[in-house]
Amino acid sequence: MLFLLDNGAHSIKVGHDHDPSVFQNAIVRSKGDKQTYYGHEIPRCRDRSSLHYRLPCEKGYVVDWDAQKAIWDGMFLQFPKPDIPESSILITEPYFNLPQIQRIYDQFVFEEYGFQSYYRCTPASLIPHGSLFTAPHKTREGDLPLPPECMLVIDSGFSFTHIVPLISGSIVWNAVKRIDVGGKLLTNHLKELISYRQWNMMDQTYIMDDVKERCCYVSADFKADMELSRTKLPNNPIILQYILPDFSLNRPGKLLERGQVVKDASWQILEMNNERFTVPELLFTPSDIGLDQIGLAQAIAHSISLLPEELHGMFWGNIGLIGGNTKFPGFAPRLPITEAYRSAHRFVTSSPSLYAQRYAITREDYFEIGNDISRRRWKGPYSDMPLRVDTRLKE
Amino acid sequence: MAPRRSQPVRQTQASSNPLDPALIARRTKKHLGELEKSNYTEVDIDPDQADGAAEGSGRRGRGTARQTLISDGRPSVHPNKKSTMNIRTALLYKKNLATLIEESGVGNLPPSVPGYFSAVVPPSQEPPRLFCSVCGYWGNYRCMKCALPFCSRDCEVNHQETQCEKRVVY
Repeated sequence: MLFLLDNGAHSIKVGHDHDPSVFQNAIVRSKGDKQTYYGHEIPRCRDRSSLHYRLPCEKGYVVDWDAQKAIWDGMFLQFPKPDIPESSILITEPYFNLPQIQRIYDQFVFEEYGFQSYYRCTPASLIPHGSLFTAPHKTREGDLPLPPECMLVIDSGFSFTHIVPLISGSIVWNAVKRIDVGGKLLTNHLKELISYRQWNMMDQTYIMDDVKERCCYVSADFKADMELSRTKLPNNPIILQYILPDFSLNRPGKLLERGQVVKDASWQILEMNNERFTVPELLFTPSDIGLDQIGLAQAIAHSISLLPEELHGMFWGNIGLIGGNTKFPGFAPRLPITEAYRSAHRFVTSSPSLYAQRYAITREDYFEIGNDISRRRWKGPYSDMPLRVDTRLKE
Repeated sequence: MAPRRSQPVRQTQASSNPLDPALIARRTKKHLGELEKSNYTEVDIDPDQADGAAEGSGRRGRGTARQTLISDGRPSVHPNKKSTMNIRTALLYKKNLATLIEESGVGNLPPSVPGYFSAVVPPSQEPPRLFCSVCGYWGNYRCMKCALPFCSRDCEVNHQETQCEKRVVY
């Protein structure tokens, strides 16, 4: 059996076949029912006011292995018969993952879980194997057009936004660029705005995530939208009214239809006006909150300028978007966040023997050669750097 | 040693020149750090409390080396298997990202080698746009006391009543 695990800082995409199960990579504690929910159990949590989050990742990198193990254990046990010693696993990791964190991935896969074989890579490196750059109507196996030689993958996730150029399926590391704006920062920024202007939402990350996903969009004309947002309600095309959820009545939050009147006096209304587009705008103009970095559009140009000049046009012609933030309307084309997972699925199903021989590392090799094998086999940006080993426990 | 007097000196210095760009930069940096927080109020999920059991002995018993792990109290994939030393180390010794980056030595790589630090995009060439800290419209004016932008007389009044810290706090 083959496990595919796209281990994002916000959500885990895991499965065997074309459709993964998706859940938050978090441990949450509900103030309402005083229960703790681990990863896949979170949808069971009903009272989602004032959830307290414990996230295994800090800025996209796994730092809390205690939490990560608790979530992974529960996740593997969800599968009907996880025959792990006979299985292979493909895990995604963040770009520029630190060598000593990579070691812990290897240790978990072989020493803790005991997989038969394993491959670890970044999400963007899977995209050439997927269908993101091939015409969507050609889905019959066999006659799929080949992906372009040059492509630029924009991965805008929970922790940051990366611009990743690939030539013939391999990442050009010296042109990979990062903007320190991700979904977490956007939600927290929205939380601050709403908490000052309307309702105190500082502890309501779950609700504000929902508001962000339903209301926010990328403006095509920022200045014009800003003026429109100043007009009063009947003429204001921007304003949206969101009815806050009431967890005691088990009523989820929802949008009030345009023109619909507030029927129930107990409804608490949150108005989303210029917040709708000023929040996602941070991806394109990080300096709006004082983060002194160029925005996405300029960063793409910057990354392409670092590539061989004769290929510039090829990269400009093949830009693909993955990651949760690219779901904002206007961040066209809208794409599912499971794109890396789907690509991984096509990667391992289109040529299973190639995957097994060229990419995966087996348990036997790991225990024979040791931790170094993954660094030697899968060349990454830090492959040539000497590894510093923590000797604290070996006194 | 004599007990320290309250009211550190730097606060009085800070208020003498509230619009110092260095102070504003420091306030912005602190704010950006806050935008990365997972919870507004930072308290760790305590496994003892979470399971409602009186389980405090593990923590008090043998000092700091043996902490309670939330993953220990959870169903495990291999329930009867003992974890290896490497795994126990990873579970017990949590380090934050700044420490890990420091220890890995990627900061010492020359700028020509791609790495975490060289991957960040360059700073913006344009001056930042300013937005009203009250309503979000263009902020063409700044508060004389705390340097936050606002757009109009109405918002200025609002700002002073509800938001203004009277000086740049960092």
